[in-house]
Amino acid sequence: MTRNHDRGRSQPQVDMFFDHADRRYQPHDRLAVRYEMSGLGQDEVRALEHSIVWYTEGKGEEDLGVHSFQRITDEALLPPATMVGSFGTDLPASPLSYEGVIVKIRWCVRVRIFFVGGRDFVSEHVFDVGTIPPAQRVASRAVAVAEA
Amino acid sequence: MRLPRFFEKKRGERRTGSQVWASAGEAAFYAALLVAGLVFGGLLVSGVAVPEWRLNHDFLPARGVVLAKGLQRRSVADSPGVVHTTWAPVVRLRFPVDGVTSTAWSRPSAAAVTPDRETALARLGGLPEVGEEIPCWYDPEAPDTVVLKRGYNWAMWLLTLLLPGALVAFGGSGLLRSVRAWGKSEERRAAAVGLPEKLAPLGQTPAETPGFPGVPACDDLVNSPGTILSYRLPIESPESWALLGFGLFALAWNAVLVVLAVGAGLDLMGGRIDWLLFGLLVPFAVVGIGGVVVFIRGLILATSVGPTQVEVSNHPLRPGRSYEVLVAQGGSGMLRSLELFLELEEQATFRQGTDTRTERAVVWSQLIKQWREVELSPAARFEAEATVRLPERAMHSFHSEHNVVSWRFVVRGVPDRWPAFCRVFPVVVFPAEAAARAGRPAVEEMAG
Repeated sequence: MTRNHDRGRSQPQVDMFFDHADRRYQPHDRLAVRYEMSGLGQDEVRALEHSIVWYTEGKGEEDLGVHSFQRITDEALLPPATMVGSFGTDLPASPLSYEGVIVKIRWCVRVRIFFVGGRDFVSEHVFDVGTIPPAQRVASRAVAVAEA
Repeated sequence: MRLPRFFEKKRGERRTGSQVWASAGEAAFYAALLVAGLVFGGLLVSGVAVPEWRLNHDFLPARGVVLAKGLQRRSVADSPGVVHTTWAPVVRLRFPVDGVTSTAWSRPSAAAVTPDRETALARLGGLPEVGEEIPCWYDPEAPDTVVLKRGYNWAMWLLTLLLPGALVAFGGSGLLRSVRAWGKSEERRAAAVGLPEKLAPLGQTPAETPGFPGVPACDDLVNSPGTILSYRLPIESPESWALLGFGLFALAWNAVLVVLAVGAGLDLMGGRIDWLLFGLLVPFAVVGIGGVVVFIRGLILATSVGPTQVEVSNHPLRPGRSYEVLVAQGGSGMLRSLELFLELEEQATFRQGTDTRTERAVVWSQLIKQWREVELSPAARFEAEATVRLPERAMHSFHSEHNVVSWRFVVRGVPDRWPAFCRVFPVVVFPAEAAARAGRPAVEEMAG
């Protein structure tokens, strides 16, 4: 987890707790998370968004797929009234997490806090779906003969 | 007041602030295009289209007598010291307006205006003679405006509609997208794909299999039955595209060459020799002939080997399962070797400056079978079957707007007398875990 130390402002922090401690899931598994927000200071929160998304990394432009999205604007459910939250979803069949050479696919849980001033703060927590081993670039064409 | 920041962290926990400027900048860009389109369109409509429309609808017909003929000179100062002069043949007419006789010089049509005085003089001879009575049309609001011809300039109307229309459409759709996305997170925008996203100029998200986000649809791969196994796979030959490219280049280049050569030939017949043109023709001809040679060589290579066909016993494929694959090779002659591979390729599309580039990397390759000294006969094609088993933890096919992970069978052959060839047959691999976890077939097997 990375922290942003920004002088002169509050330093929000979102601690995320997955129901699988190793953050490894299989397709169609139920994923449930609980989070705790802190360090919001005097900044007034106007909305909160939970999402479970996959995105691509690597050489190509980033693509994003949203599996689950929820926006909360009810003051009773926003800080400072509520500093903790939880949500969950049934994961889809695909795409699986993939550590390729020039294409990588990652899953993450995002909590985005919108402040009254117009700024927002996003906290991202990566987890794995599936058990695909990392890929390696093939140096030569023929690697192995499948049949004797 | 805090100003938004331009640069922020991309991953992990971070504040974001650049979105405000990004949205504002994008909206301003599209708004500028929209305004430019509206202003440009307004100018064209009011300055060109409306006068022409009035000429054809409001001008009144009359019979006028030609009193005189002459050249109209119009001089415009383009820049200090540079004066641009145009000439047009006109006639002075006497015609009745509400019972009163009126005289005026005719207004020349745009086609009659020329920068060359001699040409204008020549055209003057084509106008009616003095004393002749001819039809004319005058503006009832300004009777000294009289024309000899009416009609529409359709090219001008197309220009009037096309250019500003494109600017308005592009700018308007972009502005609509920007406004709809204003203040929204990328997750919220992605979760609500609506009209603005559909209007996106670069929106090329491929069709995916229902229930399998990111997995491309395989409808196009299972609509051709095989001769022996269930499905005949479509070919995706990079050589064919290269050959098409060479063909189009040779065609376009030689078309230019012919135009230049005709011009040079006409000069030569007229007794003039343009050495610069002849000097240009030589390297142009060399490149043109080279293009034709490369194209014909590629065409011979593509057609000399004969068609390759790959069939598979089932589709889509799944990790951990085995499949029968048939390779059929037509043509004649001897192949020193014929190899069948199963490959996994990654493809990433990215922008570099103003260019869009695509990079590919083969990240897994398995030689399924190799045949040596294959004798091809026109009477009966070479056919051989092999069995392929996908790894238990193989990555599934994946396709998003800019990133692709694709599986394919690759047939590589080395003919005895020709260069080696490579033919690619894409397949779709589904995730293995999906069916097992769901306790049901994720997608019904399309054949057994």
